[in-house]
Amino acid sequence: MKIVVCLKQVPDMESKFKIVDDKKVDESQIAFKINDFDNYAVEAALQLKEKHGGEVIIVSAGPERAAKDIRQAFAMGADWGIHINDAAVFNGDGFVIASALAKAIEKIGGVDLVMTGVQSEDLQAGTTGVMIADILNIPSCTNVVKIDTADGKAFTLNRELEGGLNEVLELAGPAMLSIQSGINEPRYPTLPGIMKAKKKQLDNKSAGDLGVSASARTAFIKMFVPVSDSMAEIIQGAPEEAAAKLVDKLKNEAKVI
Amino acid sequence: MAKLLIIAEHRDGKLSTATLELCRVAKAVASGLGLEPAAAVFAKDDTLAKEVAKYIPEVFAVCDAAVEKYTSDGYTQAVKAVVEAKDVKGVFIPNTYDGVDYAAKAAMAINAGIVSNCNKADVEGGKLVLTRSIFNGKLQETKSVTTDKFVVTFEKGAFDPAEAGGAGAVSNVAVSFGAIRTKVKEVIATSTGGVDISQAKIIVAGGRGLKDGDKYKEIVIPLAQKLGGEYAGSRPVIDSGWTEPSRQVGQSGKTVTPDLYLALGISGAVQHAAGMKGSKCIVAVNKDPEAPIFNIATYGIVADLFEVVPGIMANL
Repeated sequence: MKIVVCLKQVPDMESKFKIVDDKKVDESQIAFKINDFDNYAVEAALQLKEKHGGEVIIVSAGPERAAKDIRQAFAMGADWGIHINDAAVFNGDGFVIASALAKAIEKIGGVDLVMTGVQSEDLQAGTTGVMIADILNIPSCTNVVKIDTADGKAFTLNRELEGGLNEVLELAGPAMLSIQSGINEPRYPTLPGIMKAKKKQLDNKSAGDLGVSASARTAFIKMFVPVSDSMAEIIQGAPEEAAAKLVDKLKNEAKVI
Repeated sequence: MAKLLIIAEHRDGKLSTATLELCRVAKAVASGLGLEPAAAVFAKDDTLAKEVAKYIPEVFAVCDAAVEKYTSDGYTQAVKAVVEAKDVKGVFIPNTYDGVDYAAKAAMAINAGIVSNCNKADVEGGKLVLTRSIFNGKLQETKSVTTDKFVVTFEKGAFDPAEAGGAGAVSNVAVSFGAIRTKVKEVIATSTGGVDISQAKIIVAGGRGLKDGDKYKEIVIPLAQKLGGEYAGSRPVIDSGWTEPSRQVGQSGKTVTPDLYLALGISGAVQHAAGMKGSKCIVAVNKDPEAPIFNIATYGIVADLFEVVPGIMANL
């Protein structure tokens, strides 16, 4: 099987996000990592490759720093990758990025399965994979929590629904699957894996190389820190002291214990 | 006048609450955009279309065996047909499991920009301005659509459901469906049996901040037992197998409304909040002062839960 995983590098969500000019976050205080959902997609792709043979190719749009996490996926076992290191793409909206990723997948050719995380942790849009499927004119399934295939061509999938339900559905590849967390246990790279990753092929491509001419369909206005009108009463003091005050409030103020 | 169209969502013959929430926001913003609010219902007959007509002035029913069950191809084709037949300018879709599955595809089919997962819609100078959570709920952003047509999806629970009372007009739209490339086999429950935490008066829930399964068992379970309540977890806890799926709180798990919900090491992403924000008293313990859980909690302690929980235990 030839499997492409679309991967995004995102900030660690426990970082402190400082907004600059209402427009962007200050990256100097942020550590970056593979989008958690994409990490599950990489693992799912590697498991399919182990069972059916073939290769796993990483495609990612992002600045220079994204190369670190493409190589992290190489260290897990992915074979090679394409890095769309072009601000005209990665600063574009979801449609521009999906258009570029789809072009890269077309250029690879003969792809059986496109996989990605169900959404990115930073922008939380959950639209990229579905748009790629539409551009490539292949069927798609989102929130995938189980993949069964005997031949790598016909798939039985579980799509997660509300309240602990799953929809079981069938589709034929080539297809796009967006992967939900918990579908597997993503592996950690081994030391030999990390050594090998350094030598794996990573092609840098621009919008021009890929022939992407899409323009944005949405516009970003500003970002801000949410203000809640029901912010918690923060109990101050050292942990032990705060704990004692909390118990007192639960007994005497909220009267819930 | 051009339409602002909401797409109804239903399962097993029942409309989702998200559908009624969309009715409210569509009616609130339509006139400012120079549009009329309307709904489309895709089902085998027009029973649900008549139901939706109680909430919105005009309803288009696509009655066809092809959309008896939800599929992304079926819904996308139906959206495109109604948009073209009825002079639709904007489409609102719930950001639910089904909505996420087809909204972007529907946007592509009508050459529209899409802004997904929004929690607020405002009209500024005749233009739609959308607010949405980013960075796991720590920040928000505003966006607009630059194409002629637009698709917006909204977080479940972002608006109160519309109230019934109207008697809207229902008309049928015929659609000639093409290929539907996914085939639904069945819908199954993944967490049958197990404990029913939805009835508990006190729930102690752990999250990613517990670090590992042993710590979850050492910290969360004893506290729940001492309080005479149930223990539970956010999605990462269940994904990692620290406790059983029947104890998951959130959009993909249970919805709970206990008197006391103690959230330990839970950041409070919207998917989790959807399952517990109706609790009477919410306590959040998290060392990250910016964790969104503090925006919905009654009491908060910003500290390492491993230092706070022994203190709670000692005072009970």
